[in-house]
Amino acid sequence: MIELLYLLLQDAWFAWIPAVGFAMVFNVPSRMLIYCAIGGALTHSSRFLLMHYGVPIEWATFIVSANMGFLGLYWSRKHLIPRPVFTVASVIPMIPGSYAFTAMIALVEINTTGYSLALMQLVMENGLRTLFILTALSFGLALPSILIYRGRPIV
Amino acid sequence: MSLSKEEQTELTRVAVFAGQILHQHGAESRLIEQTTQRIGLALGADNIELSVSPDAIVITSLSDGHCVTTTRRCFDRGINMQMVCEVQRICVMAEKQLLDARDVKKRLKRLTPFKHNRWLVVLMIGFSCASFSHFFGGDRAAYWVTFVAAAVAMILRQELAHRHHNPFVNFAAAAFVATTITSFGVIFEAGENPQIAMAASVLLLVPGFPLINSVSDMLKGHINMGIARWVFATLLAISVSIGIVASMTLVGVSGWTS
Repeated sequence: MIELLYLLLQDAWFAWIPAVGFAMVFNVPSRMLIYCAIGGALTHSSRFLLMHYGVPIEWATFIVSANMGFLGLYWSRKHLIPRPVFTVASVIPMIPGSYAFTAMIALVEINTTGYSLALMQLVMENGLRTLFILTALSFGLALPSILIYRGRPIV
Repeated sequence: MSLSKEEQTELTRVAVFAGQILHQHGAESRLIEQTTQRIGLALGADNIELSVSPDAIVITSLSDGHCVTTTRRCFDRGINMQMVCEVQRICVMAEKQLLDARDVKKRLKRLTPFKHNRWLVVLMIGFSCASFSHFFGGDRAAYWVTFVAAAVAMILRQELAHRHHNPFVNFAAAAFVATTITSFGVIFEAGENPQIAMAASVLLLVPGFPLINSVSDMLKGHINMGIARWVFATLLAISVSIGIVASMTLVGVSGWTS
């Protein structure tokens, strides 16, 4: 139990860094960076916890990004700032970048070395995983405006 | 409230300018549409209709049965959330009737994109990719190799972006440099599994924002904006993988598919 808590804290610590780093690339205003840090740490560590208890990665991503969507809703109404400012940077640590690149590189390899089942398996598995995780992420974030606001502006 | 023709033309220009700023700085389509309409209505139009397409916006304002239509080209000026926040704030103030058309125009004209200190960004991106290497199970050597490679790639990316190079060329070059640096980690056998650094060091080039915007645009009914963003992000990812493959072929280290 203590060990799990330690792993969780470690995960949260390493997750806030990319959230803030990418938020700075998107030029999020300085006083909002702290919210991106909190969001990044919360989402990535709670996904870690869900996956630890055996939830598949896509569903875990969906659950935590939906929660992030509602948290972003609260923050955006509090500060009168559009939601993507907090939410997108917070989920950046969960973007399946490595899967996406593996799929693409395997595609390029099929072109150079010819078709093989192993390479095609890499393309399909990594490509599909990218697609599903990404859809889960965006759908989760969009949930408040799809279910509750339905076309009305949030701020 | 009845507007003269000049007032209606001015209102349309102000509203389209706000929409253009949002479009150029990477806001999602729903936000562009809503904010432009709200500014137009707050300034006294009866109705605002607009069409958002990947490289332009077309807007028509209605007042007393008269229409004024205008089009603006929107060139990508890089994602900048601070500009999006400022336009949103101006929109809220106009809705509370604190600003008239002239004030809104003056404030929109005065906006200048805020940029974080570039060396601070380089440092943070270095640590970000290093954190990813930790998530992939890398040890301390992989952590620092990733840090150096990602920071150098970020400096190159900023330099090329500053000189207005094509984004595809920019991303391929940055991926090439990052992979080449981490390949030396593999050659000199830094740590237990130096291949992890190869995977982590290019993650600064993942087009995360366009991808998320793309899916949420499509979910909210802006299918063609979503497709355009999706294709753009995919092309960026392909150019990154070409950069990686070029480097792996040249240096002769393979870290991804074997």
